[in-house]
Amino acid sequence: MTLKRLTGVAIGTAVAMAVGLGATSALAQSQKKISIMTWNIPYFEEGMKKWIDLYHQKRPDVQVEWIDKKGTEFSTFYQTQVVAGTAPDIIDIQGGLWLEYASQGGLVDLTPLMQRDKEYTAGLYPEFANGWRFEGKNYGVPFYISKTLLFYNKNMFKEAGLSGPPQTFDQLMQYAEKMTGGEKSGLMTLNFDWLYWPFFAVNGIELVTPDLKKAAFNTPKAVALVERLAKATQAGVINKISWTGRWVEPNGAFAAGNIGMLHAHAPAYFWFQSKGPWVNADTVGAANFPGGWSTPNSHALLMSKGTKHPEEAWDFMKLATSGEGAFIFGTGSNNLTGDKAANARLMKYFEEKIPAVVPALKTQLENLDKLVGNWPLAKDAQVKEAFYPELQAAMMGEKSAKEALDEAEKKVNRVLQRR
Amino acid sequence: MAFAIRKKRTRELLLIWFFLAPSLLIFALYRIIPLLWNGVLSFEFWSPYKPAEFAGLYHYEEMILYDDVFWQSFWNTAVFMASAPIGILFALVIALLVDTPIRGRNVYRTIVFMSYPVMTVAVGIIWQWLYNEDVGLINYILRSLGMSGRGIPFLNSSTYALPAVIVASIWQVVGFYMIILLTGLQNIPQSLYEAASIDGASAWQRFKRITLPLLRPSIFLCFVIGIINSFTNFDLIYVMTDGGPSHATELLVTYIYRVAFKLGQFDYAAALTIVNFAFFVFLAWLANRLSGGEAGAVEST
Repeated sequence: MTLKRLTGVAIGTAVAMAVGLGATSALAQSQKKISIMTWNIPYFEEGMKKWIDLYHQKRPDVQVEWIDKKGTEFSTFYQTQVVAGTAPDIIDIQGGLWLEYASQGGLVDLTPLMQRDKEYTAGLYPEFANGWRFEGKNYGVPFYISKTLLFYNKNMFKEAGLSGPPQTFDQLMQYAEKMTGGEKSGLMTLNFDWLYWPFFAVNGIELVTPDLKKAAFNTPKAVALVERLAKATQAGVINKISWTGRWVEPNGAFAAGNIGMLHAHAPAYFWFQSKGPWVNADTVGAANFPGGWSTPNSHALLMSKGTKHPEEAWDFMKLATSGEGAFIFGTGSNNLTGDKAANARLMKYFEEKIPAVVPALKTQLENLDKLVGNWPLAKDAQVKEAFYPELQAAMMGEKSAKEALDEAEKKVNRVLQRR
Repeated sequence: MAFAIRKKRTRELLLIWFFLAPSLLIFALYRIIPLLWNGVLSFEFWSPYKPAEFAGLYHYEEMILYDDVFWQSFWNTAVFMASAPIGILFALVIALLVDTPIRGRNVYRTIVFMSYPVMTVAVGIIWQWLYNEDVGLINYILRSLGMSGRGIPFLNSSTYALPAVIVASIWQVVGFYMIILLTGLQNIPQSLYEAASIDGASAWQRFKRITLPLLRPSIFLCFVIGIINSFTNFDLIYVMTDGGPSHATELLVTYIYRVAFKLGQFDYAAALTIVNFAFFVFLAWLANRLSGGEAGAVEST
């Protein structure tokens, strides 16, 4: 082919592409579109269709796009979308990721919308709604709620001569010790995010000072606690898998039937039940952690700053987190929601359909004044990253408790001080 | 006449550039521009939500003076890199064995090579199970031999985690090294060995004086692959340990990812990337010098 012909082909292709792109973009601009990105709920396809149908009854002119991402890829995907200027309008988020986004102005302040729609806001649990406040502004509405609790293996309790769940921290450790032997461990905890913090809270230990500016955890009490937990870990009383920073392995280990108590969030029930055929209401009990302390692991819906349709997005958020929309999600995902009325319906539904999970779900609505591990720290992820590896080293016997907490204090303070 | 020749040359050049342009454009878009932007970013306070501000050397100061994890990941990367010769040594032994005229040597070659095409994620999962404290094969064998009571938490121990991941990495790449070395071995003229034998050279002398010197280019190639591997072995670490426990298996590449996407510090991650890049360029330069300064050179004909 000659150069002239090649040039002709190149120009022709470019013109055709430009015309095609122009036509497509004109078509796309004729209709409003919002997008929602959820956190690892690919199974919710049917429910999402119902949501969109309900939404179209009110807003038939708005297209809804659904994107679902696994937790491991959520943040990477979202931040690249933000940089590209195509962030989803609504995001479903858990943990402390949102604090980073909110503190840098990446999210819409929902306070005025929540104040305007009083009836909707009054239907939400204030304790869970407050978990999404940063510097006096509300950035999220509770979507589905979960917090940590104590699951216990009734068979192992019976074998050890124990009648019911522990009421105090000392009892917790004593029961765990009693059930340990051979391949059996008395206790296991999940530890991603701040899920292990109830162990500290029950012993009166705070992570940071009330003004959130300095570490406050390095106290003699904390050293004694970490020493005790580390010793228990070395002796096998607390299973070492507890400190791996993952959740699949601890849940899997509990499902194997060799763990006396599992400190985890409520959805763990369905996970270990699916792996352990022995799991039912007669063999696994659910109770509050001693003192009623728990760490929320709830999800909320938040709005990206870059949204072009905030009112349309807000309507969708309200639909998904209240009334029929919330009920659809609860039944579709076996979770409780942030909406009081929907939960009343959901509890009846679960009592009828899955009675075994009801004791665990009941704990989710109790002791809401004792939620811990949800500090509104703009650098939550960095603080976690500074604290946890040191704690892990102490638990695995690689550092003394004092050394680990000294080092963690130094690192946490550095994170809090730096820009 | 001269004008016609010049015109023809110009047209030829245009045609060459026309065909080169897409590749160059992609290379510039995906390599050069990001690298340059990364350099700029490392001197700024930047987040996806805020306008950038000049930071000077702030991130570099933070990295060098305060960030223990950076130093640990730097050290781990160096250890990972230093482990490459172990894999090469293993591969050399295997290559020598399968180069001898034994029955079924093609089968052995295939078996050894099989680990290489396996996806790294799959390799990570396989070794995760092998190392499992309770049901892993390695702990089962150790327990059966009476060498350990409770299982060894290979991937949950700061002492064992890095060596454990290195073993998995070597296992994956050893087949590839073997093929490179085997090709090198088969290119050594048989007549050299025959002449040496006639002169009374022992097997060790033949290996030391003939095999090793003539295998040098192949060994060097394996070493370069090993270095690249140590800088890019993200997926294996991500699947097996996610850099833990307590950053014991954190490599520079996994740390950069963690800082950027888990901690949201893109500016600081950019500074880490620049240091990583500089370290890599230094090693490439060093390797080039050690190989006589001709690595990558194209022979002119």
